[in-house]
Amino acid sequence: MAQRAVWLISHEPGTPLCGIVKFSRRYPTVEKRAKVFNGASYVPVPEDGPFLKALLFELRLLDDEKDFLESRDSCSHINKTSIYGLPVGSEELWPVVAFLKNGMIYACVPLVEQMLSPRPPLISISGISQGFELLFGVQDFLSSGQKNDTELNTKLSQLSDLLLQTCPFGTLLDANLQNSLDNINFASVTHPQKQPAWKTGTYKGKPQVSISITEKVNSMQYDKQEIADTWQVVGVVTCKVPVPPILGFYQVKEEEVQLKIAVNLKLHESVKNSFEFCEAHIPFYNRGPITHVEYKASFGQLEVFREKSLLVWIIGQKFPKSMEISLSGTITFGAKNHEKQPFDQICIGGTAYLKLHFRILDYTLTGCYVDQHSVQVFASGKPKISTHRKLISSDYYIWNSKAPAPVTYGSLLL
Amino acid sequence: MGPLGRETWAQRLGAFRASPSAFMAGPQGEDLGRDLLSDLRSEKLSEPVKVALLALCLEYPAQLWPDAPAAEAAATSLLDTLVLLPPRPSALRRPLLLAATTALAAGGALSPASGASRRLLPLLLGLASGRDLGRSFGPASEQRPLQATAWECLRELESCRPGLLGGCLGLLRALLGREGPVQPLSLLLALALRNALVIQARAGAGLQGLLTAGDSSMEGGSWNWTLAEEGDVHLQPQAPSWPAAEEGEFGLAALELSPEEARELRATVAQLLDASYLLTPVAQAQLLWLLGWALRGLRGQPPVLFKPQLVRLLGTAQLTLLHATLALKAAFGEALFTAQDEVLLLRRLTLAAQHPALPLPTHLFYLHCLLNFPENWPLGPTGEEAAPLLLGSQLCRGLLPSLLHEPMALLARLHLLCLLCMEEEEKEEKGQDQSPRHYLEELLAGLRQRAALDSGPRALATLCFQASYLVAHCLAGQPVVLTPLTQGLAQLYRTRPALAPHFVDLLDRVGPELQEPLRVALRQEVVSRPGREEALRWHLLMLARVADGDAQSATLNFLWAAATHCTDWGLQQALLRVCRALLRAGVGGGLADLLQALARQLEDPDGQDHARLYYILLAHLAGPKLGVALGPSLAAPALASSLVAENQGFAAALMVQEAPAPVRLSVGPRRAEGPVPVLQLQVEVLEPVYSLELRFRVERQLYAPLGAVHVPCLCPGRPTRPLLLPLQPRRPAPARLAVRALYSTPSGLTCHAHLPPLLVTFADLFLPFPQPPEGARLDFFEELWDSCLPKGAESRLWCPLGPEGLEALVSRHLEPFVVVAQPPVSYLVAIRLPPDSRLLLRLEAAQADGVPVALRTDDWAVLPLVGDYLRGLSAAG
Repeated sequence: MAQRAVWLISHEPGTPLCGIVKFSRRYPTVEKRAKVFNGASYVPVPEDGPFLKALLFELRLLDDEKDFLESRDSCSHINKTSIYGLPVGSEELWPVVAFLKNGMIYACVPLVEQMLSPRPPLISISGISQGFELLFGVQDFLSSGQKNDTELNTKLSQLSDLLLQTCPFGTLLDANLQNSLDNINFASVTHPQKQPAWKTGTYKGKPQVSISITEKVNSMQYDKQEIADTWQVVGVVTCKVPVPPILGFYQVKEEEVQLKIAVNLKLHESVKNSFEFCEAHIPFYNRGPITHVEYKASFGQLEVFREKSLLVWIIGQKFPKSMEISLSGTITFGAKNHEKQPFDQICIGGTAYLKLHFRILDYTLTGCYVDQHSVQVFASGKPKISTHRKLISSDYYIWNSKAPAPVTYGSLLL
Repeated sequence: MGPLGRETWAQRLGAFRASPSAFMAGPQGEDLGRDLLSDLRSEKLSEPVKVALLALCLEYPAQLWPDAPAAEAAATSLLDTLVLLPPRPSALRRPLLLAATTALAAGGALSPASGASRRLLPLLLGLASGRDLGRSFGPASEQRPLQATAWECLRELESCRPGLLGGCLGLLRALLGREGPVQPLSLLLALALRNALVIQARAGAGLQGLLTAGDSSMEGGSWNWTLAEEGDVHLQPQAPSWPAAEEGEFGLAALELSPEEARELRATVAQLLDASYLLTPVAQAQLLWLLGWALRGLRGQPPVLFKPQLVRLLGTAQLTLLHATLALKAAFGEALFTAQDEVLLLRRLTLAAQHPALPLPTHLFYLHCLLNFPENWPLGPTGEEAAPLLLGSQLCRGLLPSLLHEPMALLARLHLLCLLCMEEEEKEEKGQDQSPRHYLEELLAGLRQRAALDSGPRALATLCFQASYLVAHCLAGQPVVLTPLTQGLAQLYRTRPALAPHFVDLLDRVGPELQEPLRVALRQEVVSRPGREEALRWHLLMLARVADGDAQSATLNFLWAAATHCTDWGLQQALLRVCRALLRAGVGGGLADLLQALARQLEDPDGQDHARLYYILLAHLAGPKLGVALGPSLAAPALASSLVAENQGFAAALMVQEAPAPVRLSVGPRRAEGPVPVLQLQVEVLEPVYSLELRFRVERQLYAPLGAVHVPCLCPGRPTRPLLLPLQPRRPAPARLAVRALYSTPSGLTCHAHLPPLLVTFADLFLPFPQPPEGARLDFFEELWDSCLPKGAESRLWCPLGPEGLEALVSRHLEPFVVVAQPPVSYLVAIRLPPDSRLLLRLEAAQADGVPVALRTDDWAVLPLVGDYLRGLSAAG
């Protein structure tokens, strides 16, 4: 259940190595155990340089994709989990838990307490989920409140101390690194207090409890007979919802160099008509830049991003009384330039979508809320209690109904 | 050297971390460990710098102190530094404890003989149990964090040296009761308990009151190493894998517990489990893995202790806890989990594997857990991925792949879809459109459409081929799936021939069910087109893999047409590789014309030579031999010439290779007839040999050069006729013949071997004179006898006789040469010695033990040979 080493690597396409090791930590006592347990199949953890190279190759993050490489592109080289075997010299380092998130690669090597050949089933290795939890913890810590590079660097510099606290010998104690940061900065106390078991320090500050409900709504709308529209609300509480908040259709017709589009959106009458914002993004992939747009919108404004081949229909804070709005127009494109215009692997031919982005505060589709006065806290002191709720569009797509669209198995009307 | 400054250390540490091996090999490497330890006590360096130095000790002790004595010295120095710290708050105490622990454990210095171990262990135990260690151990405010650190250090030492804390179990239990469910302490107790159980079970002993012993067991006296020494042989997996960890190996069945011990054990485990919900999820999970494996197989300890935890665990949303629950399930199966529990777990896994709030790696891991679910009653063979029985197809539907998924998620889900299709096949055929198979086809078509995009990234193509491979692998027995897959792939090739390397790779890896039809379809796809120039190199690459003896004329037509476009070296080589494939497949006539044309027509001399070589090979080698010659894969083309590479490839096959002798030769009975002496050779063969050619060389040129002997085929166990080797002596003398064999093996290789030399004796050369008419024999002999002198020589010898007498000796050795016989006492013998000598013997008036021999010869040089021969006759019997 221990880790042999941990890395944070920033992915930097375009640079010679395509990445930089931002942080690494090795656990020699665990490595010593690995040597005994793995016996003849033991492969030592490599130094940062070779590890970086092998990992980026395996994750397909090197810029060089031009030629077919059997060790990377072979059809039988199938990975169905975020756990990899990395070629190191003539041997293979396995298992390496790794994933890319927001330009940062998180990686660790869990200890396997037996021979590695034949490979034991992943599910039998306790260090795998522990490794994931450690990496997620680091990721949460880095991404919380992080806005710029300076802040990121500050957090990276704290990481070494934090791991010394929560994972001094490679066995993780607490995946919530922020807890530990609070502990490092603890003020001295003269007498021991009763405190939660996972905290060795004491928290100083105003007691407060914040409860918020955030619901995310996904939707896929096709405007087709044989395909059912889908929607899904995810939040603290999940329950069935009878309708998606905004129903609509999107039609695209190609006429020589021009595209004719028609969009219609309707807000459901049960939904609170008060948005923090509401926009429809209409991207055009695999084409040249937009050179000319003629349009008619019944409501809101249209912004044109020519180089990005993107239209943004800003609907604003409210739908009109009719609850229904429409946009139609003709778009002309210039010559395609592969480097600049966006490529998409789904939107081929007529396949196209518009994506809705909106947020409604103090509202949930499910009607779920927290009653501030009913919250009880069993602790000394009176914490301040605040509650919030909001609805956010997550993956809210309306597909062009005049062309094929990717379908999930569930939406096929069987 | 005085202490280094902050800047210098920062530089040094940076350089070390960039590449520890390079740094240690450099000029500064040697001093690093020593400087680091001494500068930790320097008053000029600030605490943060020292913490950075200690961080290095924590990560790289093996580089800094490579052997046990160095590690021991380092740990001693670190402990000294710790004791010397002034009694004010300091950030160094914790990392110093960690570093000393690391140095001892990683450096292999932890032992009863180690002074540092004898200092560190009581210190840690003192801190852990909250004893007052005096002001030297810092202000009171630091005691609690140091206590937690001490627990951590002890746990690591116990991990590396199982049984180390076996003597402290009672103390740890008491501490847990006093401190409450403190995380590192709970885990330390669980680990020490688990290790003690395993070690005692192996020794066939009980717990011997370890759980109830109080603090006193360690106090005052020295550290108790008994269990650690017993456990030293085996490092204990903290969570051994199933199914490898069978009862025999890790099992505790041998452990004899008294009722009282069993009660204490149960109480300890319950104490740990009952408060476990207060620990963080990762720590809880560790506790469950440890205790689960501690109790597995322990007699009289049913897993019912875990039951109260299950209510909570089955509903957990925590990755580590769900994983630990699956581990418990694998360990205890039906004894702990009912069928309803199993359904509930599956349902949770299914939902978690697609929950939008969870990250992709978690989804993938849960999908993996589903396909490898530890079922109570698994149906299939272990180790193979399968959909659990209780996972209904309804539950699966949400887990099916779509084009919108990430590649890894798509592949994992595709596997599940394939499993569904397999089940579907076993059931009755349903309506076409609704079946998962139809959905699968649509999905594969979508993947191919994406892969066909000219500007698309290679990853998209790779994904398409991975999916095709997976489907072909899982559904190999379903032609209804493979047929549209083959057609779809052929169409993909038509649209984007640049994917040829992917196709070649796919063909190399799939089973024959897809390989054969796909190969044929792709060959047709290539040869049925004129070959546009930009795609020509892909077509040629493809054809080199798919061409065979079928559809010869279409293939050759394509190549004739392509040849005119092959203007550069690369294309010519690609074209020649197709020719090579055809050569191997045994394509003859039309190919010879093409190769001849290429040898004239290609601009590049390398290409010309290459084509000519193929032509020569085709013209001169039989089919099987050609197959062997071109068999080994082509070496990577050398820069200078592809021909060189080709030669490297088949030089071995075409050149004659030295081998151990496959035949044994011996000289058979003498023939003594004809105009020249002829050796009869007996052949014994050890392995099948074809086209055997035996070459003989006469040493010292005593005979004229000998012709080779040819045998078409020899097989072991089959009778062989003797081989006849005519000799043409230049002088009548015995000689040694050196022998070499040249032959083909059944695998088509040509070999040569040196055989042991053959000896031709003097008697082997004897030939009779033509027999004169009956009445004239004595005269004939006398005439020969007289003619020898005066040029020749005369001699008399005593030829000893054995018990059989003269008659037997003559009939055995001299019969063909006797001219006049008066048995049993008198014989006149005339022998012709090629090239043109004679030997005449008179054996008369034989006595019981010998016969006097008068001899004459016209060649005095043979006299010693005759002497040896006659004297040897009786010995030869």
